[in-house]
Amino acid sequence: MTQFSVLLKKEFLESWRSFKFLWIPLVFIFLGVTEPLTNYYIEDILAAVGNMPEGFEMLFPELTAADILLSTTGQYQLIGLLVLISAFIGSVSRERHNGTATLLYVRPISAAVIFMSKWMMASIVSIVSAVLGYLASMYYTVILFGSVAVDDFVKMLLTYCVWLVLVMAITIAMSAAFQTGVAAAIAIILIPVGLFVDSAIGGFWTWTPWKLVNHGLSFVTDTIIMADFQMALLFTVIAIISFSGLGILATKRNWRLTKV
Amino acid sequence: MSELQQIPWALVAPILVVQFILMIVALIDLKRIYATNGPKWIWLILILISGILGSIAYFIVGRRQA
Repeated sequence: MTQFSVLLKKEFLESWRSFKFLWIPLVFIFLGVTEPLTNYYIEDILAAVGNMPEGFEMLFPELTAADILLSTTGQYQLIGLLVLISAFIGSVSRERHNGTATLLYVRPISAAVIFMSKWMMASIVSIVSAVLGYLASMYYTVILFGSVAVDDFVKMLLTYCVWLVLVMAITIAMSAAFQTGVAAAIAIILIPVGLFVDSAIGGFWTWTPWKLVNHGLSFVTDTIIMADFQMALLFTVIAIISFSGLGILATKRNWRLTKV
Repeated sequence: MSELQQIPWALVAPILVVQFILMIVALIDLKRIYATNGPKWIWLILILISGILGSIAYFIVGRRQA
């Protein structure tokens, strides 16, 4: 346990000194705040900069608070995830590249502890970012559009956190298994591109991990189909476990391959 | 001037503040860091003129961590 806390502290210092703990939450807050604002002022924005012809009129749908949460989540699922992946994709591979990893591998530390500390720190940063971002977004949404039930919002947020833990498990596992560039490509194909592919062809199945966030959102948007949600949650947990297993194996392999 | 007053500053201000903090943090980091990917002065210009995108790009690809 002491090994783990020491390594966790090292990861914390790393994300603190590289400002990850500051700029990633700020990006999420920025995305979360702009979404309700642009949706609320879209008519004014179009009138001011849209070069609309004289007498042009457009009907905008009456947006509810849930719609805004939906579009904020859309931003997070694309830009937010890309930011998170690119911020953490180097966390193992870069250390291997510049030699810090060797300092770890010559000590009697288990690969699982190395992997877990990195994964946990990355998850903490992403969860803090997402929670702050959603709270900022919700604050504006309540002012401009109205409110949603608090317990539904919390359930949705918790679901999103589970999804982020999976995203980070994939990211760190890929970082342990491959070089930074390859790892980034695979993680981006698996996560943001996977989301697109799943929404394009995934109408037939309801339980993939990629659908977890949508199921979580239906806590606030409409009635949730609990069975589907539970299946998606189950498969997400299975995916988290298998990717962390993969990551630990890859870290072990790195350890063996290291020449001292 | 009347158009400036119509802008809901109370709502818009937090966005500007977040953008400003990001820019300051990026600039502090740029000052302290030993070397960046690509010339430092290009990053300085990017961070200063391109709003939030320049700062994010700097944190993702600009920092050389060796």
